[in-house]
Amino acid sequence: MSAFDNNRNASFETLLKPLLDRLYRMAFRLAGNKPEAEDLFQDVLTKVFPRLDDLIEIESPGPWLCRIMYNHFIDNRRRFARQRLVAVAEDQLPGEGIDSVPGGTSPEQDAVQEDNIIQLENALGKLSDEHRLVVMLHDCEGYKLTEIQDLTDTPVGTLKSRLHRARARLREILETDGTK
Amino acid sequence: MNCNQTTEQLDDYLEGDLPTDDRALFDQHLDQCAECRAVVENGQTLLADLARLGEMTIPTPDAGFYDRALAKAAQSGVRKQRNRWVMTGFSGAIAATLMIWMVSSVFFTAPQMDQPVIPTVTMALEAPQTFNLVFSSSEALTDASMTVTMPAGIEIEGFAGQREITWMTSLKEGRNILPLTLVATSSFGGELLATLRHEDDNKTFRLQVAVI
Repeated sequence: MSAFDNNRNASFETLLKPLLDRLYRMAFRLAGNKPEAEDLFQDVLTKVFPRLDDLIEIESPGPWLCRIMYNHFIDNRRRFARQRLVAVAEDQLPGEGIDSVPGGTSPEQDAVQEDNIIQLENALGKLSDEHRLVVMLHDCEGYKLTEIQDLTDTPVGTLKSRLHRARARLREILETDGTK
Repeated sequence: MNCNQTTEQLDDYLEGDLPTDDRALFDQHLDQCAECRAVVENGQTLLADLARLGEMTIPTPDAGFYDRALAKAAQSGVRKQRNRWVMTGFSGAIAATLMIWMVSSVFFTAPQMDQPVIPTVTMALEAPQTFNLVFSSSEALTDASMTVTMPAGIEIEGFAGQREITWMTSLKEGRNILPLTLVATSSFGGELLATLRHEDDNKTFRLQVAVI
């Protein structure tokens, strides 16, 4: 490998490393499972490497990279649509060994709360991609609507309507499933 | 305020986005309506559960995953070239003939090796143009490498900023075509080199690129 290539690789690594955790988390939220999240993560890094010169020029590369990831995910929506959040075995839940809620709840309360989370994941899996993503990003990840607007190029008003419809749909699903 | 109105305004109420007067009306309705109080409570629980879902630790990547992903991304240019350009075999007896022609129409044939005249092609600034380099081989060969070195201001489309690209390939007996889509980012132009290597043998083809 030439010195030119070594320099580019080192620059790429230096620029990306502080952002990798955030990108990984975003990939998981979009894809819904670890294997596909890692595929998405790899695809985006591969896509970005030839654009290293652009990356160097950008003041805040995090949102730019997240947007590339989001657009890439949407472009491959069919592949990920079958892997939305669904009921999974306990050992496949994010964060192995889920702890009790802080504050000292009883084991019975913990079990009910874990059931709620599993039911919620099932319900999220039944939403459309658009509804699921806005709920995941806003209500689960804490993104503001303006940040989601930058990410998805969708007006805040549209996102707000979509969020409200998504939550209403979730409530319907959960009620039908008998949880709430 | 009635139940339909509280249902419509539920999310704004939960987010604290209702104007003060509307919130007061909403609270008054809740004081009188057990059903709406239950709806609000369910809504609050849903938001809390969603936030908790987000707080759960997502799966952590395996040790070394990030380093492998970064390395794989850096290699991706080589891999893409290997997948895109099908060249099947290349012999130690590299042919002396180089034919270059533009996709549209023009056809150039390099002269014999003892009369080296470098072919010249012309391209417009910022307008991608594809040139087919043809390598003739007297026999099939595997495990060859191809290195393309661009002059400053000329790039291979899709590989912005990369002056040199190398990939492993193989050539079939006969004619093997290497299509290169070039983009001129400056008006300087210059000499493009395409070097085939196999074991101890190598051959470099030169192409002069002028930019108008």
